[in-house]
Order: sequence, then C-alpha cells, then structure tokens
Amino acid sequence: MKNSWREALIGLCLAALPVAAMFVLVVLPAFEGLRFSLGYVPGDNPAYSTGSHLVTSSTPTLEVYRTLLSSPFVQADLRLTLTVTLFTVLLILLVGYSLALLVRFGPGRLGAAVRSLYLIPMFVPVVIAAYAFITLYGSRGWLDALLHHVGIGYRSPIYGIPGIVMGLVWSHLPFATLLLGSGLDALPEEQVEAARDSGAGFLSILWRIILPLNLTPTMIVAAFSGISVLGSYTVPALLGPNAPQMVGVAMEQYFGAYRQPQGAVALAMITFALAAAIGALYVWGISRTRRHG
Amino acid sequence: MKKKAVSALARAAVLLSVLSIGGVRAQSAVTLNFYSGGDVNVQDLWANNLIPMYKKVAPNVTINLVWSEHGAADQATFDRLAAAKKAGKVSGVDLWESGMVQQAGEAGMMAKIAASDVSNLSKVPPTIIQQVGSYGLPYRGSSVVLAYNSKEVSSPPRSLPELFDWIKKNPGKFTYNTPDTGGSGHAFVERVLMSGLPQDQIKTFQTEYKPEMVSAFDKGLATLKELDASMYQNGFHPKGNVGTLQLLAKGNIRMGTVWSDMALSYLAQNLLPPEIKLVQLEPPFSGGAAFLGVAADSPNKAQAMAFLNWLLTPEVQAVVINKMNGYPGVDWKYVPTETRTKFADIAKSYSIGFQERFGADINKLWYEKIAGTPMPASK
Repeated sequence: MKNSWREALIGLCLAALPVAAMFVLVVLPAFEGLRFSLGYVPGDNPAYSTGSHLVTSSTPTLEVYRTLLSSPFVQADLRLTLTVTLFTVLLILLVGYSLALLVRFGPGRLGAAVRSLYLIPMFVPVVIAAYAFITLYGSRGWLDALLHHVGIGYRSPIYGIPGIVMGLVWSHLPFATLLLGSGLDALPEEQVEAARDSGAGFLSILWRIILPLNLTPTMIVAAFSGISVLGSYTVPALLGPNAPQMVGVAMEQYFGAYRQPQGAVALAMITFALAAAIGALYVWGISRTRRHG
Repeated sequence: MKKKAVSALARAAVLLSVLSIGGVRAQSAVTLNFYSGGDVNVQDLWANNLIPMYKKVAPNVTINLVWSEHGAADQATFDRLAAAKKAGKVSGVDLWESGMVQQAGEAGMMAKIAASDVSNLSKVPPTIIQQVGSYGLPYRGSSVVLAYNSKEVSSPPRSLPELFDWIKKNPGKFTYNTPDTGGSGHAFVERVLMSGLPQDQIKTFQTEYKPEMVSAFDKGLATLKELDASMYQNGFHPKGNVGTLQLLAKGNIRMGTVWSDMALSYLAQNLLPPEIKLVQLEPPFSGGAAFLGVAADSPNKAQAMAFLNWLLTPEVQAVVINKMNGYPGVDWKYVPTETRTKFADIAKSYSIGFQERFGADINKLWYEKIAGTPMPASK
C-alpha cells in the first residue's frame, strides 16, 4: 500500500514537470491572448500594446471579433479555410485509403513499391515540397513546357485553391496512409477470407467489413489532419491565391504585415474554437464506436 | 533582422588605453553585442568588411555580431529587450539593426539618436530619420526602380502616367509583388497611392500617423484596382522581391518593380539576363534605409554611438555602396566622387515611403481592396 502511494507520487512528480512547462508556455500566453482579444491591452507587453487599431476596454468586449467577422475579407478567408479543410481531408482519406489498400491487398510488387514510396513526403521539408510544386506545376514550369511540346494548353492550378489542396494532401499523406495501413494490418484475415469464399466482391468486402472495422483509425486520421490543415501555414503561404487566405496565413499577416496583433490573436481564438469543434466531433465519434463496438 | 543566440557578456577588462573616434574617448575594452539580420550579403558586409575595418580604428571595441537569417529572430530580440526592461535588467543587446527599432523605441527600449551623440547625423536627410522617430540610424539604403526587358521594350516609361499607359496597352506583362512580402511591390503601391493624395499632405503621410487619414488612399486604390485587370494573369502578384525577379528572368513579364541593389546583384550573377535594364521614374519610387539603433539599456552607449558615427564617414559609406550595390545612408554628396560616378545611373535620391504604420494599414487595404475583391474581368 505504502509502495503504491510512493509510486503514484513519483509518477505525479514526473508528470508535473511537462504539465507545468505546458502551463507556462502555452496556457498562460493563450489566456493572456484571450484577454487581449477581449479588449484588455497589457501595458507591459509591447508586442501587444504597440499594435495599430487597438480596441481598449476595461470590461470585456467582443468588439474585435465583431469587426473581424463583419469584414467580408475575413469571411472569405474563413470560407476558404473551411472549404480547403473539407476537401483536403476527403482527398487525404480517399488517396490514403487507396494507398493503404494497395499495400495490404495489392499484388506483391506494386504493394511493395507503394509501401516504400508513400513515406517520401514525410522526409521532404514542406518548404522544399512547395517550391518543387511551383517548379513542376507552375506557369512556365516543367509540366507546362512538356504539354507545350505536345501542343496542349495549360493553366497552372498552383496559385489557386487547387494548389493549396494539392500541397496539403501531399504533405499529410504519409501519416494518413501509415495509420490507415496499420489499422488494415490489424484486420482479422479470416473474416476477409470467409467473405471472399462466400463470393463477396472486393467492393462489398470493403464496404461491409473493412471500413466498419477500420473506423477508429479513419476518425483519427480525419480529425488530426483536419486540425493540422486548419492551422497550416507554410503550404498556403507559398501556394494559393493572394486572397482570400487560409486563417494561418491571415493570422501572420495581421500580426506582422498589418501590425494588428489584436486581430491576429482573435483569429487564433477563432481557429482554436474550430479545432476544438473538430476535436469534440472526434471524441464523440470514438465514444460512439466504443459503445457499439 | 534579428537574432537570438545569447552572447557572452564579456565586457570588463580595464585597459587604460585611450582612443578617440568621432570625439568620443573610451578608456576600456568593451564588447558591443550587435544583433542584426538580413540576407547573406548583409551578413557578409558586416562580418567580412565593416567589423574588421572598425577593429582597426577602434582596437579595444569588440563587436559581437549576433546574426539571424532574414531577420527571422526580430520578434525574439524585441521580446528580449521587453523582458529585460520589465525585469529591470540589462538586455545584453547594445546595437540592433531591424525594421522594428521604431516600435521598440516607442516602447522605451531604444535610445533616441541625436546629432549631439552622432555628429555625422547632419549628413543624413532629416526626413529619413524622422521616419523612425530618431530611434534608428540609416547606414545604407536602396531604392525601388523599374526593371524592363530591353529586347521587348524599346522606350521604357519615365513617369507614372506613362507607366500606367504601358501597363494597359500590354496586358499581362507587368506585375509587382504583394506589398507585405517585399519592398519593391510596396513601393509601387505607395507610389500609386501617393499620386492620388493632395500634394501638400504627402509629408504628413511620411512622418506622422493619423489613422483617420487612411480614407485619403481611396483614389489611389481605385487606380490600382483598375490596373490590376491588365496585370500578369489578370492580377496575380508573386510573393517576395525575388518573385518579381524570377518572373522577369523567365520571361513571364516584361516589366516590374525591383530593388536596385538586388537587381544589380542578380545581373552580376547572371540570374537575370543582360537585356534586363533598370530605370528610375520621375518622380522616383520610394527607397528605404536599413536602420541601426542603440538599446536604451545599453551600458556602452557612448561606444555604440561612436560606432554609428564612424559608419557614416565617407570611406565606410563607399564600402557599403560598392558591396551592396546600394545607396548610402548619408546624402549622395557626402560620398566619394569615384563611387558616385560608378553608380551614376541610380545615384539620385529616392522618395521617402510612408510612415511605417501607414505602411501596415496599406498592406491590409491592399489585401482587402485589390487582391480580395473579385474583379469582373478576372479568371
């Protein structure tokens, strides 16, 4: 009894350090950010107090959020962010599943090739990848030159929404495929065999056995890539249109280019709320699966 | 422009040598922690030219260069100064080269630079110093100029109306980079906005900041929006100064605004084809200076100010211009004749950009009204 108490205490002490570090480095600044976005301008923090167009108030006010959300410019940014997040997650799932299925069920050589290729994006820094996309798919890039030779016209998608989605899908694929693949590996072979023996086609096996049994990894991939895409910065900063922008880019612009830290912090809070909503969906989904599973 | 790494605060050692630079007498060996940042050419200028040169004139002053690529650590340096001020301690930053010196100065973290400390300050055009509220010393500059492909364009525009005319007659062949990602795009935007302002108010926009005056930009913004339909890909703007240079190099556009120093360096390295030529409009595009400030809490203020004064001497200014293909911090007339002749094409003054806070507001207006507003003729 005494021993288990001591072990618990040691465990708590060990856990306390990272928790304390997180509290100081993440929770406190986030709290100060929240207060700032509600109109409390901290006089002793020049990074905040030297901003332009500050809303200063001694009682909490939603003025900053009102101004932001009523701007058609910010509305367009949020619409773009949600659209890109939705399409990117769907594409990640679609492509990730296809690759994972190829690895698990594909013919020997193809499966092996995919298995070694799909991890590549993980080892290429996103910035390099984004520039590679520009060189390859950009206007007067390689693809353009190639198509020009065979007489096909080309309009580069790279500085439009498709450019952002392409870049984000590419960079998120390894993680998604890895996770979906490990879920597929855990599927009981017998069930698939039994279904095959009783004459079920691949699609019905996929729909009735594989997808339902692999629901948890699927939800993990959807939630984690959703949150990561929502707050992404590098890919949308380098690819995509001048405007509208993903919120990650807009946030940085408010902070740096427009010198409006209050707007940046408020955008961060909005992004946090959206990410929390995805997280809540995920928790709800997981708890449902557990109950039914 | 910034950096972060902590440098040893090795000052101390009392050498009773006497040195005098710019009238300042220092009696002991000191180390000045110089936080700076920028591209590798700036790093090279400091590390391989200016700092070794200064060691010869002031042997007991050691300059410890704390470098940050592209100024990525500016905010960290700012936070370091702010934290030290709050804690009542010495930040360890003596000199800081950054676009943020004014912001830091307004927060009481940078010292005002006066002609009583830096006598050569009188050679600097006063409006440039006013632009940063006297919290920084401009030791080098550059100006935005128009670059054009001389194979395609025989007689380049020489004034703003001529340029507008050219853009409209040659749709898709001109662009500038987004104003927040590079000064060359920003200078084009400001020049157009300036053309829509009452002439007697321009000085106010350069040296003061009144948020309510922003509405005066509407006329210029309308002109920009109108031009946008005739720009590269119906109004696509590359990111960064390099973006415009690359479009010029690949032949996507025939004309664009560029920094003179960058374009000259690119031409020298064959990163731009030799048919690309530079021309300055009349009145000129704005230029900008790189500002160097002295931390308010620096225990070595006198030595730091002496260093600043030395930077503005003619020989040093000549080195800066030659190395950077740029503009001097002082007025061109204080530059050695030889250097002035070498850069005769661009050795003119540049106009001054708007006050920094207007600059920030302009970035936002540009994204809202130019990039973020759909265009009927657009894709």
